Amino acid sequence: MAGVDRLRRVIPRSPRARLGAQGGLTVTAAAVALLLPLMLSTYSMSVAVTVVMYAILGLGLNVVVGYAGLLDLGYAAFFAIGAYTSSLLQLDAHLSFWETLPAAVAAAAVSGCIIGYPTLRLRSDYLAIVTLGFGEIVRITVTNLSVTGGANGLYGIPPATVFGTSIVSESGLYYLGLFFLLIAIVFTGLLSRSRLGRAWRTLREDETASEAVGVPATKVKLLAYVMGAMVGALAGMYFSSQFGTIDPTTFTFTTSVTILLVVIVGGMGSIPGMILGALVVIALPEALRPISSYRLLIFALGLVLLMLVRPQGLWPARRSRQGSFTAPLAPREATATTATAGEATEAPAAGRPEPGSLLLRVSGLRHSFGGVIAVNDVSFDLHAGEILSIIGPNGAGKTTVFNCITGMVTPQRGEVSLRGERSLLKVKPHKIVSLGLARTFQGVRLFEGLDVADNCLAGLSAHQGRLVSRHGLLGRTSAQDRREALRWLTFVGLAGKAHVLASELSYGDRRRLEIARSLMSRPLALLLDEPAAGTNPTEKRELMGLVRQVRNSGVTVLLIEHDMGVVMGLSDRVIVLDQGAVIAEGPPRQIRSDPRVIDAYLGREDHEATEAVGEVSE
Amino acid sequence: MSAFLQYVVNGLTSGAFIALVALGYTMIYGVIRLINFAHGDVLMVGSFIGYEVVVTLVAQHWPIALIVLLALLAGMAFTGGLGMLIERVAYQPLLNSSRLAILISALGVSLALEQGAQLIFGAGYSAYPNVLSSAGFTFAGARASYVQVGMIVLSLLLMLGLYLFVHKTMAGTAMRALAMDKDAATLMGINVPRTILLTFMLGSVLAGASGVMQGLYYTEINFFMGFLIGLRAFTAAVLGGIGNIPGAMVAGFLIGLIGSFSDGYISSEWSDAIIFAVLIAVLVFKPTGLFGERVAERV
Amino acid sequence: MKLLTVADMHTYYGHIAALRGVSLHVNEGEIVALLGSNGAGKTTMLRTISGLQRPRSGTVSFGGADITRARPYDIVAKGLGHVPEGRRIFAALTVEENLSLGGYLARRDHTIVAERKQRVFDLFPRLAERRGQLGGLLSGGEQQMLAVGRALMNEPRLLALDEPSLGLSPVMVKTVGEVIRRIRGSGTAILMVEQNARQALALADRAYVLETGRIVLDGPAANLARDPRVQNAYLGGSAEEAAPSP
Repeated sequence: MAGVDRLRRVIPRSPRARLGAQGGLTVTAAAVALLLPLMLSTYSMSVAVTVVMYAILGLGLNVVVGYAGLLDLGYAAFFAIGAYTSSLLQLDAHLSFWETLPAAVAAAAVSGCIIGYPTLRLRSDYLAIVTLGFGEIVRITVTNLSVTGGANGLYGIPPATVFGTSIVSESGLYYLGLFFLLIAIVFTGLLSRSRLGRAWRTLREDETASEAVGVPATKVKLLAYVMGAMVGALAGMYFSSQFGTIDPTTFTFTTSVTILLVVIVGGMGSIPGMILGALVVIALPEALRPISSYRLLIFALGLVLLMLVRPQGLWPARRSRQGSFTAPLAPREATATTATAGEATEAPAAGRPEPGSLLLRVSGLRHSFGGVIAVNDVSFDLHAGEILSIIGPNGAGKTTVFNCITGMVTPQRGEVSLRGERSLLKVKPHKIVSLGLARTFQGVRLFEGLDVADNCLAGLSAHQGRLVSRHGLLGRTSAQDRREALRWLTFVGLAGKAHVLASELSYGDRRRLEIARSLMSRPLALLLDEPAAGTNPTEKRELMGLVRQVRNSGVTVLLIEHDMGVVMGLSDRVIVLDQGAVIAEGPPRQIRSDPRVIDAYLGREDHEATEAVGEVSE
Repeated sequence: MSAFLQYVVNGLTSGAFIALVALGYTMIYGVIRLINFAHGDVLMVGSFIGYEVVVTLVAQHWPIALIVLLALLAGMAFTGGLGMLIERVAYQPLLNSSRLAILISALGVSLALEQGAQLIFGAGYSAYPNVLSSAGFTFAGARASYVQVGMIVLSLLLMLGLYLFVHKTMAGTAMRALAMDKDAATLMGINVPRTILLTFMLGSVLAGASGVMQGLYYTEINFFMGFLIGLRAFTAAVLGGIGNIPGAMVAGFLIGLIGSFSDGYISSEWSDAIIFAVLIAVLVFKPTGLFGERVAERV
Repeated sequence: MKLLTVADMHTYYGHIAALRGVSLHVNEGEIVALLGSNGAGKTTMLRTISGLQRPRSGTVSFGGADITRARPYDIVAKGLGHVPEGRRIFAALTVEENLSLGGYLARRDHTIVAERKQRVFDLFPRLAERRGQLGGLLSGGEQQMLAVGRALMNEPRLLALDEPSLGLSPVMVKTVGEVIRRIRGSGTAILMVEQNARQALALADRAYVLETGRIVLDGPAANLARDPRVQNAYLGGSAEEAAPSP
């Protein structure tokens, strides 16, 4: 159809220009890999088998550490679970090698949930220790249980068979390994390009912002472990087919560290890096066999050196690029899409509310931090279609109110309800986004390492959290996703900068990107936290125009601001906070001349200060 | 009952060794937010230094008391210096880098120390000459050797010394201030890099003491011992609330007791797994450790 | 006699310019106020001066010496005290311990430290009453007093105060103002960042107004207090920006 063709021309699916060089390299590498057995001795082939296995393990750990940023120091546990499950089923249940695949992968996936769950609320350092602990627990368990063969392990495992032939030669094992490696590459590559991959990247960059755009952090983190574990199980299966025996000494902390070395040395997050890492970590010392006893020592020192000099590894992942658009819009198409931006937004899940109807009700909100009352009995209503501003001096409690509304803080007292019906207290931040409340942050929180397009696409996360749906986590960014992103980027004027890194944007553009991103979640109301902070008069005027356009597109606006010019020029109503309490409420003109407001901002006159007699406790 | 008390005695002894190491983990984490993976291996180095001293001096028939003293001093001095060297070379340049980079660097140092020891002393066990008497006393069916009591007392003295230093001297108070709020501490005129170095020195000195004592007590040492005790000690540090010095002391003894009970009632094969399970369980219910953290997290 | 001179300061957070060519100075014995809305760069200015942040270009000199790239603890040693935004007292330490830390650089001489502590207690009798209490248990106003007292323990020649009246009740704000006057009276110059423009201008000799990283206005405090542009900056933009909302 003509429309789809035009769309494809405007937003190419893949960066075709780059494929040329990359494709050539891949083909060469694949050819070399396939022809390797013809070139090397049997001993070298056994090394190659180990390299391939560690490449697979590296790819798996890469999902956990590289994609999701979770430092797993006990990854060997999944390796072990895959190996032992497959071996036990082959020995005791007499299943064939291939028949054990689903069970091994499933067992690893389940263990991924079990291991991941306790780490969800932990900081990165604690997370490392807990995963290390799990790794050791698994190793100790298989060492002590007789069903797993105790310290001697399992033996007598039959070799894998392919089309009736037993795989026993090194070359045979090598090709079997290549097959698993291919599966791992495709699997992790697809993951990287999926919405889940993007969700992981946002989580890694800024967990708070990630939750604020609707990424379900718990689910996404667990999935990282599960996916990584599944790949580890593949390697475990492969390993069990190599020698006919497995024992606990293969699954130690040192193994976990070696896999981590593969990932770090190769370059976190990058697929070719894993293969390079495995080559360096496994094959290189074999080539230097005369000093093999110094191998780990040199590696250890090299690791420290690497961190000091090139912490990103030898072949680090390229920034952004996954599923974003590359070509700037052609002028004709540009005007076409700008026209659509002015129209009403797509209806959010709950249906457009009646202008003027109650959208958000805050009542009796109260919260203190360590003895200081930040929010003191704050109540107000937000009506659909209005621009409501909350103003007040620094420290008046404004951002805390936002945090209470968006679920980042549970207030000690009070109620926040959507449309007067549904309570938002104790609802997770990402769920609140899916219910229709999006927010920006004081000081702008973007995903610095992602480009403009990816930042914007991340805004759809609230509606793409399902696992099995095509519009869910495991799906790829669709043309519809891209259309929406393009529309909102055009709306804020950033369409031409789609592939600029967020960290390289000017301050004004950063603010605009954050707004575009939050509009992507199809909100009922947009909560802006000090959008004019740090802007010069021109930027301020543009911002005000943008906020008006947002409201005209059907999104209610709740605004925290310091800048009176912005507030007076934009708001339908203003609420004034001072020291956590509401001191005034009404239309801008009225607020501007309210003596209490003037005092709160400019400072009280001396004679009024003496009225507050005696008690000075806060 | 007598078995129980015996486990308590043994547990308190091993707990004393663990507590000394846990203090280092907790102090270092307090000032630079790093899990110092290399800390356990610093203990191992101290243990080997003590080994060299003891073996040499025993051959020359020096008095036992003097040998023990010199072994301790040599171990502590060497590890103190080693800790400072590691901080300067492997951690300080990375203080402004990502947390991951410095964690990996610590892993690298740990590995390097282990490999170095393996290359020098071999992969097998080295044995301290058995210089300590096994004389002791019995009570309620359990037996405690004077050496055990002595080691517990010595450890407590060292811990007391640390506590006094941290709470009664300006340098110690500066350390605590740094752990609480780095910027505010800087604005007091505190030389932050030097204070960090001091923290490493103190922690490593205690680890060295623990290492020598363990060598004298258990007599068998090996290049991998640091990893095992390091994990138990780190568990104790987290259990006690990272950054919490008294917490680390108490938790160290607690872990020693848990390990001892596990060795006695279940099997020493499972003890490490059990200790880890305890750690994981505590962190699930109290992500900031049993006694809560003592590090400031900026909102 | 210029005590502190900042010349053409540019400070960045990543790619974002927080300060774009700021120059200011503080003379001995002066009270200078630095005003501006949130995000204007006031805190960045103080952090750059006290060495907690490195500027990209520009110079800072204090007492004749160039301190642009000096280490923060050396800058403190030279007599530049900084009371940071939010007070940042050591909550787990007592009032007395906080003050002792303030006198860290003089720690070798117990007599001097004790004398200085007494002077701080004279200035803040309330702190004397609470000397054994943990800092975290003090009220907001008392914490502010402690933060200032702590900085005074080093007998600074210049005291930089970041939003001293933040979150305080009106009476406390008045007290803080009196304290600032007394401090100046004893010879210490003051550079004060404030949101409470009225209070600041009533106290200060001179003032600067910072807007998005640039100085847009400066002069004697009395003049600025009457200047309509200051009023506008705090209470509303120019007429053309106050467009009627639809």
